[in-house]
Amino acid sequence: MSEPTDFELLELATPYAMHAVSDAERAEIDRRVAAAPSPVAAAFNDEVRAVRETMAIVSAATAAEPSAQLRGAILAPIEPVEPIAIRQMSWRRAVFASAAAAVVVGAAAFGVGVLMRPPAKSTVAEQVLAAPDVRTVSRPLANGTATVMFSRDRNAGVLVMSNLSPPSPGTVYQMWMIGANGPTSAGTMNAAAVTPSMTETLTNLGASTALAFTVEPGTGSPQPTTPILAELPLS
Amino acid sequence: MSGPPRLSDDLDALLGRVARGDSAAFATLYDLTKTRVYGLVMRVLRDPGYSEETTQEVYLEVWRTASGYDSAKGSALAWLLTMAHRRAVDRVRAEQAGSRRESRYGAATAGPATASAHDPVADSAIAGDERRRVTECLDALTEAQRQCIELAYYQGLTYSEVSQRLAANLSTIKSRIRDALRGLRNCLDVP
Repeated sequence: MSEPTDFELLELATPYAMHAVSDAERAEIDRRVAAAPSPVAAAFNDEVRAVRETMAIVSAATAAEPSAQLRGAILAPIEPVEPIAIRQMSWRRAVFASAAAAVVVGAAAFGVGVLMRPPAKSTVAEQVLAAPDVRTVSRPLANGTATVMFSRDRNAGVLVMSNLSPPSPGTVYQMWMIGANGPTSAGTMNAAAVTPSMTETLTNLGASTALAFTVEPGTGSPQPTTPILAELPLS
Repeated sequence: MSGPPRLSDDLDALLGRVARGDSAAFATLYDLTKTRVYGLVMRVLRDPGYSEETTQEVYLEVWRTASGYDSAKGSALAWLLTMAHRRAVDRVRAEQAGSRRESRYGAATAGPATASAHDPVADSAIAGDERRRVTECLDALTEAQRQCIELAYYQGLTYSEVSQRLAANLSTIKSRIRDALRGLRNCLDVP
């Protein structure tokens, strides 16, 4: 059909393949390729493929080693379901039963779920990881790393903590959901509960804007009494 | 001679297993590709914290969408790195748009990222050869072509932004980008 238009479209294949177009242009190009005569679409797709294969080889020039912690953070959430469920018990929630409303992963609720249902087809973790809007935020915490993967669509998140130093004797780590009305306790963890890699499911993120951690004396506090160690924005 | 064929075949097979929910295959896939993925993301984002977050998102997407990979449409490595580059570019544009501004980004963008930040121990001899070959091919481009790749691929600019940045007209930039890629493709023997 209109030769100049087809030529223009083919000219865009290279920047398109390199993600050097705006989102609006990308959508427009996708539309035009879908509507183009099949030889034009095929030529466009061939060019895109060749550019991407070329840049895949070029990536040898930018290779860089990520930190060793990243491996644990990436692999932990996709481990088989059972270990995640067991480790979920490490945060003690019963202490702040009234305050725990914002985070509904009560140990009791979890236990009931296990007894009454056959193994769930899709866990909260799987649903979060499969959500199109899944986001990841990482912050250093107690010589280790806290990473939360969350989905606003699913209203849930998966927290992975790796290589944390245990809290000092007589203190606990306490997790807080920060919302418009300030922090709400989301559980505590003492030295005995700390393992090299821990996964935690968060349901009902609600209007929380961040997840935060403090060290608290004894078995925890109703409100933070020490400076925040790490804050993971949920945005 | 289009890259390391053995690695490619391995990755194809691994992706097939990942698509069936095999977490051991996923771990192996991560080990084989992490320096490529993280390195590319880091080259675009220039901040280790953001780069690790984005790398995590990339591998989550791999885990989630491995069944959509079609080896007839390209190599597994290209599929993976396309995803990585797309996410890195989206992130750098979002940061620059200021919609998720955080001070550490500004501080981290000061120095130019270089390719020398790799861990030589992790590089096999084959990877070292490939790296050298790529460097030679990049060196064979004109300065203007390399600049286009820098801006359009590594800095996440759109081709129209590149043309504004360089005060050159759009069609000049489009053909310069195309020529740069054609040069690399021929030099690297990509079919």
